[in-house]
Amino acid sequence: MTDMPTYIFSRVFDAPKALVWKAWSDPKLLAVWYGPGVETVIHEFDLRAGGRWLNEMKWGETSDYSRMEFQEVTQAEKIVWLHHSTDAEWLQSPNPMMPNWPQKLLTTVTFVEDGGQTKVKLEQVPVDASAEEAACFAEMMGGMDSGWGKGFDLLETLL
Amino acid sequence: MKPIDYINPELNAVFAALADPTRRAILARLSEGQASVGELAEPFEMSQPAISKHLKVLEASGLIARGQIGQSRPAYLKAAPMKEAVAWMEQFKRFWGTSFDQLDDLLETLKAETPTTIEKDDLNDD
Repeated sequence: MTDMPTYIFSRVFDAPKALVWKAWSDPKLLAVWYGPGVETVIHEFDLRAGGRWLNEMKWGETSDYSRMEFQEVTQAEKIVWLHHSTDAEWLQSPNPMMPNWPQKLLTTVTFVEDGGQTKVKLEQVPVDASAEEAACFAEMMGGMDSGWGKGFDLLETLL
Repeated sequence: MKPIDYINPELNAVFAALADPTRRAILARLSEGQASVGELAEPFEMSQPAISKHLKVLEASGLIARGQIGQSRPAYLKAAPMKEAVAWMEQFKRFWGTSFDQLDDLLETLKAETPTTIEKDDLNDD
Protein backbone atom coordinates (compact mmCIF):
# COMPACT_ATOMS: atom_id res chain seq x y z
CA MET A 1 0.00 0.00 0.00
CA THR A 2 2.83 2.40 -0.82
CA ASP A 3 1.03 3.96 -3.75
CA MET A 4 -1.78 5.50 -1.74
CA PRO A 5 -3.08 8.71 -3.26
CA THR A 6 -2.35 11.83 -1.22
CA TYR A 7 -4.58 14.85 -1.06
CA ILE A 8 -2.68 18.10 -0.50
CA PHE A 9 -4.34 21.41 0.17
CA SER A 10 -2.63 24.57 1.33
CA ARG A 11 -3.53 28.17 1.94
CA VAL A 12 -1.68 31.27 3.08
CA PHE A 13 -3.58 33.18 5.73
CA ASP A 14 -2.92 36.86 6.34
CA ALA A 15 -2.49 36.38 10.07
CA PRO A 16 0.33 35.54 12.48
CA LYS A 17 0.86 31.89 13.29
CA ALA A 18 -0.17 32.35 16.93
CA LEU A 19 -3.60 33.46 15.80
CA VAL A 20 -4.01 30.71 13.20
CA TRP A 21 -2.96 28.15 15.79
CA LYS A 22 -5.53 29.55 18.20
CA ALA A 23 -8.28 29.11 15.59
CA TRP A 24 -7.23 25.44 15.21
CA SER A 25 -6.58 24.60 18.85
CA ASP A 26 -9.50 26.29 20.60
CA PRO A 27 -12.58 24.09 19.99
CA LYS A 28 -14.92 27.07 20.31
CA LEU A 29 -13.14 28.76 17.39
CA LEU A 30 -12.58 25.53 15.47
CA ALA A 31 -16.34 24.87 15.50
CA VAL A 32 -16.90 28.28 13.89
CA TRP A 33 -14.98 27.51 10.69
CA TYR A 34 -14.65 23.71 10.35
CA GLY A 35 -17.18 22.17 7.94
CA PRO A 36 -18.58 23.90 4.85
CA GLY A 37 -21.89 25.66 5.51
CA VAL A 38 -22.91 23.32 8.30
CA GLU A 39 -23.37 23.58 12.07
CA THR A 40 -20.33 22.00 13.70
CA VAL A 41 -20.67 20.55 17.20
CA ILE A 42 -17.46 19.45 18.93
CA HIS A 43 -18.35 16.84 21.54
CA GLU A 44 -14.83 16.20 22.79
CA PHE A 45 -11.54 17.93 22.03
CA ASP A 46 -8.30 16.96 23.71
CA LEU A 47 -5.45 18.30 21.61
CA ARG A 48 -2.50 16.06 22.57
CA ALA A 49 -1.05 12.83 21.22
CA GLY A 50 -3.54 10.13 22.24
CA GLY A 51 -6.37 12.66 22.66
CA ARG A 52 -9.58 12.71 20.63
CA TRP A 53 -11.70 15.16 18.69
CA LEU A 54 -15.29 13.96 18.33
CA ASN A 55 -16.96 16.02 15.65
CA GLU A 56 -20.57 16.27 14.47
CA MET A 57 -21.65 18.26 11.44
CA LYS A 58 -25.36 19.03 11.30
CA TRP A 59 -27.65 20.35 8.64
CA GLY A 60 -31.41 20.05 8.95
CA GLU A 61 -32.15 16.71 10.60
CA THR A 62 -28.98 15.09 9.26
CA SER A 63 -25.67 14.61 11.05
CA ASP A 64 -22.27 13.45 9.85
CA TYR A 65 -19.94 12.12 12.54
CA SER A 66 -16.18 11.74 12.66
CA ARG A 67 -13.64 10.73 15.28
CA MET A 68 -10.18 12.25 15.08
CA GLU A 69 -7.41 10.57 17.07
CA PHE A 70 -4.41 12.83 17.54
CA GLN A 71 -1.11 11.12 16.78
CA GLU A 72 1.25 14.04 17.12
CA VAL A 73 0.75 17.58 18.35
CA THR A 74 3.54 20.16 18.21
CA GLN A 75 2.45 23.53 19.53
CA ALA A 76 1.91 25.99 16.67
CA GLU A 77 3.82 23.72 14.26
CA LYS A 78 2.05 20.50 13.44
CA ILE A 79 -1.03 18.38 14.12
CA VAL A 80 -1.34 14.78 12.93
CA TRP A 81 -4.54 12.82 13.38
CA LEU A 82 -6.33 9.72 12.16
CA HIS A 83 -9.65 10.82 10.72
CA HIS A 84 -12.34 8.14 11.06
CA SER A 85 -15.80 8.28 9.50
CA THR A 86 -18.12 7.06 12.24
CA ASP A 87 -21.72 6.43 13.20
CA ALA A 88 -23.46 8.36 16.01
CA GLU A 89 -21.73 6.09 18.56
CA TRP A 90 -18.30 7.20 17.24
CA LEU A 91 -17.59 3.73 15.86
CA GLN A 92 -15.84 3.61 12.50
CA SER A 93 -18.37 3.06 9.72
CA PRO A 94 -18.73 3.80 6.01
CA ASN A 95 -19.83 7.21 4.85
CA PRO A 96 -23.59 6.71 4.39
CA MET A 97 -23.52 8.71 1.18
CA MET A 98 -20.44 7.17 -0.37
CA PRO A 99 -19.70 3.63 0.87
CA ASN A 100 -16.27 3.55 -0.80
CA TRP A 101 -15.05 6.76 0.79
CA PRO A 102 -11.98 5.79 2.92
CA GLN A 103 -13.06 5.27 6.52
CA LYS A 104 -9.66 6.16 7.90
CA LEU A 105 -7.47 9.05 6.70
CA LEU A 106 -4.10 10.05 8.12
CA THR A 107 -4.27 13.84 8.22
CA THR A 108 -1.22 16.07 8.70
CA VAL A 109 -1.49 19.83 9.12
CA THR A 110 1.57 22.07 9.33
CA PHE A 111 1.83 25.77 10.13
CA VAL A 112 4.67 27.93 8.79
CA GLU A 113 4.91 31.67 9.39
CA ASP A 114 6.47 33.95 6.80
CA GLY A 115 6.42 37.72 7.10
CA GLY A 116 3.36 37.92 9.34
CA GLN A 117 1.45 35.47 7.18
CA THR A 118 0.90 31.80 7.88
CA LYS A 119 0.93 28.95 5.42
CA VAL A 120 -1.26 26.04 6.43
CA LYS A 121 -0.65 22.81 4.57
CA LEU A 122 -3.03 19.88 4.90
CA GLU A 123 -2.31 16.36 3.68
CA GLN A 124 -4.65 13.39 3.74
CA VAL A 125 -3.72 9.79 2.94
CA PRO A 126 -6.08 6.80 3.27
CA VAL A 127 -5.02 4.22 5.87
CA ASP A 128 -5.89 0.50 5.72
CA ALA A 129 -7.94 1.35 2.63
CA SER A 130 -9.34 -1.26 0.25
CA ALA A 131 -8.50 -0.88 -3.45
CA GLU A 132 -12.01 0.50 -3.95
CA GLU A 133 -11.58 3.07 -1.19
CA ALA A 134 -8.19 4.15 -2.52
CA ALA A 135 -9.61 4.50 -6.03
CA CYS A 136 -12.62 6.44 -4.79
CA PHE A 137 -10.36 8.81 -2.86
CA ALA A 138 -7.92 9.30 -5.74
CA GLU A 139 -10.66 10.00 -8.19
CA MET A 140 -12.48 12.40 -5.91
CA MET A 141 -9.21 14.25 -5.48
CA GLY A 142 -8.90 14.45 -9.24
CA GLY A 143 -5.82 12.23 -9.23
CA MET A 144 -6.74 9.28 -11.41
CA ASP A 145 -8.58 9.04 -14.69
CA SER A 146 -10.99 6.19 -14.04
CA GLY A 147 -14.09 5.13 -12.17
CA TRP A 148 -15.52 7.95 -10.11
CA GLY A 149 -13.53 10.59 -11.93
CA LYS A 150 -14.99 9.50 -15.24
CA GLY A 151 -18.45 9.27 -13.71
CA PHE A 152 -18.10 12.82 -12.51
CA ASP A 153 -16.82 14.07 -15.88
CA LEU A 154 -19.71 12.30 -17.55
CA LEU A 155 -22.23 13.96 -15.26
CA GLU A 156 -20.79 17.33 -16.07
CA THR A 157 -20.92 16.80 -19.82
CA LEU A 158 -24.48 15.54 -19.61
CA LEU A 159 -25.78 18.59 -17.78
CA MET B 1 -23.49 27.76 1.05
CA LYS B 2 -26.57 25.60 1.38
CA PRO B 3 -25.68 22.22 2.85
CA ILE B 4 -26.61 19.20 0.85
CA ASP B 5 -28.12 16.06 2.33
CA TYR B 6 -25.42 13.39 2.57
CA ILE B 7 -27.89 10.64 3.49
CA ASN B 8 -30.14 10.42 0.51
CA PRO B 9 -31.30 7.09 -0.96
CA GLU B 10 -31.87 8.59 -4.41
CA LEU B 11 -28.30 9.87 -4.55
CA ASN B 12 -26.95 6.53 -3.32
CA ALA B 13 -28.67 4.88 -6.28
CA VAL B 14 -27.19 7.43 -8.69
CA PHE B 15 -23.63 6.89 -7.45
CA ALA B 16 -24.07 3.11 -7.41
CA ALA B 17 -25.34 3.25 -11.00
CA LEU B 18 -22.37 5.38 -12.07
CA ALA B 19 -19.82 3.06 -10.50
CA ASP B 20 -20.09 0.65 -13.44
CA PRO B 21 -18.23 1.40 -16.72
CA THR B 22 -20.89 -0.23 -18.94
CA ARG B 23 -23.60 1.89 -17.38
CA ARG B 24 -21.51 5.04 -17.85
CA ALA B 25 -21.06 4.11 -21.50
CA ILE B 26 -24.81 3.59 -21.83
CA LEU B 27 -25.43 7.03 -20.35
CA ALA B 28 -22.89 8.58 -22.70
CA ARG B 29 -24.69 6.92 -25.64
CA LEU B 30 -28.09 8.13 -24.38
CA SER B 31 -26.78 11.69 -24.13
CA GLU B 32 -26.88 11.60 -27.95
CA GLY B 33 -30.55 10.62 -27.96
CA GLN B 34 -32.88 7.79 -26.98
CA ALA B 35 -32.06 4.23 -28.01
CA SER B 36 -33.54 0.73 -27.97
CA VAL B 37 -32.00 -2.15 -26.00
CA GLY B 38 -30.70 -3.63 -29.27
CA GLU B 39 -29.00 -0.39 -30.26
CA LEU B 40 -27.47 -0.06 -26.81
CA ALA B 41 -26.22 -3.67 -26.79
CA GLU B 42 -24.44 -3.32 -30.16
CA PRO B 43 -21.13 -1.68 -29.16
CA PHE B 44 -20.69 -3.75 -25.98
CA GLU B 45 -20.32 -7.39 -27.10
CA MET B 46 -22.97 -8.06 -24.50
CA SER B 47 -26.27 -9.90 -24.69
CA GLN B 48 -29.50 -7.92 -24.72
CA PRO B 49 -30.56 -9.45 -21.37
CA ALA B 50 -27.26 -8.26 -19.84
CA ILE B 51 -27.89 -4.75 -21.16
CA SER B 52 -31.49 -4.93 -19.90
CA LYS B 53 -30.13 -5.65 -16.43
CA HIS B 54 -27.96 -2.52 -16.56
CA LEU B 55 -30.93 -0.51 -17.82
CA LYS B 56 -32.99 -1.68 -14.84
CA VAL B 57 -30.29 -0.35 -12.46
CA LEU B 58 -30.16 2.95 -14.34
CA GLU B 59 -33.95 3.21 -14.35
CA ALA B 60 -34.09 2.53 -10.58
CA SER B 61 -31.56 5.32 -10.03
CA GLY B 62 -33.77 7.74 -11.96
CA LEU B 63 -30.95 8.49 -14.43
CA ILE B 64 -32.97 7.09 -17.33
CA ALA B 65 -36.62 6.36 -18.13
CA ARG B 66 -38.13 3.89 -20.60
CA GLY B 67 -40.72 4.84 -23.18
CA GLN B 68 -43.20 2.59 -24.95
CA ILE B 69 -43.40 2.61 -28.75
CA GLY B 70 -45.27 -0.47 -29.89
CA GLN B 71 -43.20 -3.47 -28.78
CA SER B 72 -40.12 -1.33 -28.24
CA ARG B 73 -39.20 0.35 -24.98
CA PRO B 74 -36.50 2.91 -25.87
CA ALA B 75 -34.43 4.33 -23.04
CA TYR B 76 -33.78 8.03 -22.61
CA LEU B 77 -31.83 10.19 -20.21
CA LYS B 78 -33.22 12.14 -17.26
CA ALA B 79 -31.11 15.03 -15.98
CA ALA B 80 -32.58 15.93 -12.56
CA PRO B 81 -30.87 13.27 -10.40
CA MET B 82 -27.56 14.04 -12.09
CA LYS B 83 -27.74 17.68 -11.13
CA GLU B 84 -28.15 16.65 -7.51
CA ALA B 85 -25.25 14.20 -7.73
CA VAL B 86 -22.93 16.80 -9.25
CA ALA B 87 -23.91 19.35 -6.60
CA TRP B 88 -23.08 16.81 -3.89
CA MET B 89 -19.70 15.90 -5.35
CA GLU B 90 -18.76 19.53 -5.77
CA GLN B 91 -19.68 20.14 -2.16
CA PHE B 92 -17.44 17.28 -1.07
CA LYS B 93 -14.52 18.58 -3.12
CA ARG B 94 -14.99 22.00 -1.61
CA PHE B 95 -14.90 20.75 1.99
CA TRP B 96 -11.50 22.16 2.85
CA GLY B 97 -11.72 25.09 0.45
CA THR B 98 -14.91 26.40 2.00
CA SER B 99 -13.74 25.61 5.53
CA PHE B 100 -10.54 27.55 4.91
CA ASP B 101 -12.57 30.47 3.53
CA GLN B 102 -14.49 30.43 6.80
CA LEU B 103 -11.21 30.26 8.76
CA ASP B 104 -9.98 33.27 6.80
CA ASP B 105 -13.10 35.23 7.80
CA LEU B 106 -12.71 34.17 11.42
CA LEU B 107 -9.05 35.25 11.50
CA GLU B 108 -9.98 38.68 10.13
CA THR B 109 -12.57 39.04 12.90
CA LEU B 110 -10.12 37.90 15.57
CA LYS B 111 -7.43 40.26 14.30
CA ALA B 112 -9.84 43.18 14.50
CA GLU B 113 -11.14 42.21 17.93
CA THR B 114 -8.35 41.20 20.26
CA PRO B 115 -4.83 41.56 18.89
CA THR B 116 -3.18 41.96 22.32
CA THR B 117 -5.18 39.33 24.24
CA ILE B 118 -4.12 36.68 21.75
CA GLU B 119 -0.44 37.32 22.29
CA LYS B 120 -0.98 36.89 26.04
CA ASP B 121 -3.08 33.73 25.66
CA ASP B 122 -0.40 32.27 23.48
CA LEU B 123 2.29 32.91 26.09
CA ASN B 124 0.11 31.30 28.76
CA ASP B 125 -0.26 28.15 26.65
CA ASP B 126 3.48 27.54 26.67
